[in-house]
Amino acid sequence: MAKSKEELFRELSESVVEMEEERTVKVAEEVVRQGEDAYEAIEKGLSHGMERAGQLFEEEEYFIPELLMCSDAMYAGLDVLKPHLKRTGEKKGRVVIGVIEGDTHDIGKNMVRIMLETGGFEVTDLGRDVPPRRFVDTAKEIDADIIALSTLMTTTMDGMGKVVKILEEEQIRAGFKVMVGGGPISPGFAKRIGADGYAVNAAEAVKVAKRLLEGVGGVQVVA
Amino acid sequence: MNALQRFAAMTKGEPLDRLPCVPIIGNTAARVIGVKVSAIRGDARLLADAQVAAYRRFGFDVIRVFTDLYVQAEAMGARVKVPEDETAYLDAPAITDIAEIDRLRPLNPSRDGLIPAHLEAMRRVADAVGGEVPVTGALCAPFTTASLLVGAEQLVRLTLKDPEAVHRLCRLALESCLAYADAIIEAGATPSLTDPMASATVISPRQFREFAFPYLKELIGHIHSRGRSVTLHICGRTSKIWEAMAEAGADCLSIDNEASLADAKVAVGERVRLMGNVRPSEVMLQGTPADVRRGVIDCVCVAHDSPKGYIVASGCSLPTETPFANIHAMMDAVREIGWPVRPEKLGGRT
Repeated sequence: MAKSKEELFRELSESVVEMEEERTVKVAEEVVRQGEDAYEAIEKGLSHGMERAGQLFEEEEYFIPELLMCSDAMYAGLDVLKPHLKRTGEKKGRVVIGVIEGDTHDIGKNMVRIMLETGGFEVTDLGRDVPPRRFVDTAKEIDADIIALSTLMTTTMDGMGKVVKILEEEQIRAGFKVMVGGGPISPGFAKRIGADGYAVNAAEAVKVAKRLLEGVGGVQVVA
Repeated sequence: MNALQRFAAMTKGEPLDRLPCVPIIGNTAARVIGVKVSAIRGDARLLADAQVAAYRRFGFDVIRVFTDLYVQAEAMGARVKVPEDETAYLDAPAITDIAEIDRLRPLNPSRDGLIPAHLEAMRRVADAVGGEVPVTGALCAPFTTASLLVGAEQLVRLTLKDPEAVHRLCRLALESCLAYADAIIEAGATPSLTDPMASATVISPRQFREFAFPYLKELIGHIHSRGRSVTLHICGRTSKIWEAMAEAGADCLSIDNEASLADAKVAVGERVRLMGNVRPSEVMLQGTPADVRRGVIDCVCVAHDSPKGYIVASGCSLPTETPFANIHAMMDAVREIGWPVRPEKLGGRT
């Protein structure tokens, strides 16, 4: 007997939390076979699982290795479901993300990208070691709403301020929200360089991004 | 008192003139002698000159020869990018797939990469000022070195997918660390351990026990057998691994500003010396000298009476462009507080 879609979604969520990549793929295929809605499956299954993983991360039950394995499972499921997504008219928030020049630690940035994607954002990932200028150029190119900057090194923090400066120099500062995060970054630093948002970890980054899109004023800090 | 006398007195429980103070200076040393950051990375003479000049200028209590975390991994085949005037960083790990692990060899300190240059720098520093101040050489611990050999993301995945492979890499990294530690000691310096990837910000305390702890313990045991004490720095959140860090044998824990010095004192102060944790970026880089002074007082308040001793220090390496005025302010605050530490010297706080 076919499983109910609720059951399938629950299983998707479960298999992501449990880091079971193969099972996630199998359940996603089952979703497709039964003709269930792919978007709903992503939202109530994969994203839901990733959110729970993020929760476990905040509670220090899960750490970076577990989160990466969950995201591997989530992406594997996403690959199955994506081709079956119906187009929707709803405009998603666009984000340009990257690790600032001089730093090649990208675990944190990757986690933020994953959480933003599962949170419904369209994310352009510039990777690591990205010069400030490229963030601005790409943001203009893809008409981004948010520029998200990450660094793990105290040695590269100045580059974040440079991104804001370039936006100001080109008089397009109002067109983009800038959010920052990473090990050495603090809310105070975010304020000082004129960023719009700061998040202490990947799960919080999604909340900050959503608030920024809603146009909430002041520096958005979730700490 | 010079720094060596200060530490000797602290260990014996004798009176000091002031608490020891260590602004952890890396590439800021290049600024002291007015050269580009990349100039000191592979040049033994300049690296030594820069560190000695920084010591003479500020008068801190430990010299640590350090340019970046990647010198050992680079000597084992990792690719490092060296910007002209910024800290070097990892461009590509030594292998991209764990299947290539057999290509890796432990480093040979007398031959590989910039290791010989760094050793010579340590030797020069020790010759110049080793009679008055502890001279240390940064040693990137096995788990972190393993992460630089195969890539951090790959390594943390492997901790769950293929623990055996992680152990093989860590074993290889350990062999490199042991060889380098010996060479550092022969150069007249003391290895100073750093293991940022082993942080509980990255892996779980349980994984620390499994993958970082055994190799740290063996490495520290070896350094002890050569008559040296060991300082261990792990970045980020570490409260749940302090016990294990002490159990691995570390004599002094360097506490990051993400962790609480007050909690560390309670948890492991009876077993190990503590150092830390003035904020490197918010306070040391961006703050005013008054902010630095407050930051120092905050730390001294909570940790000055730590049973095994306390060293005022930055929570991590200082950013290259940390203003000299702030480093002076840190040293001045510690001098002014003096010893024994009294409430009136801390603005009435204890």
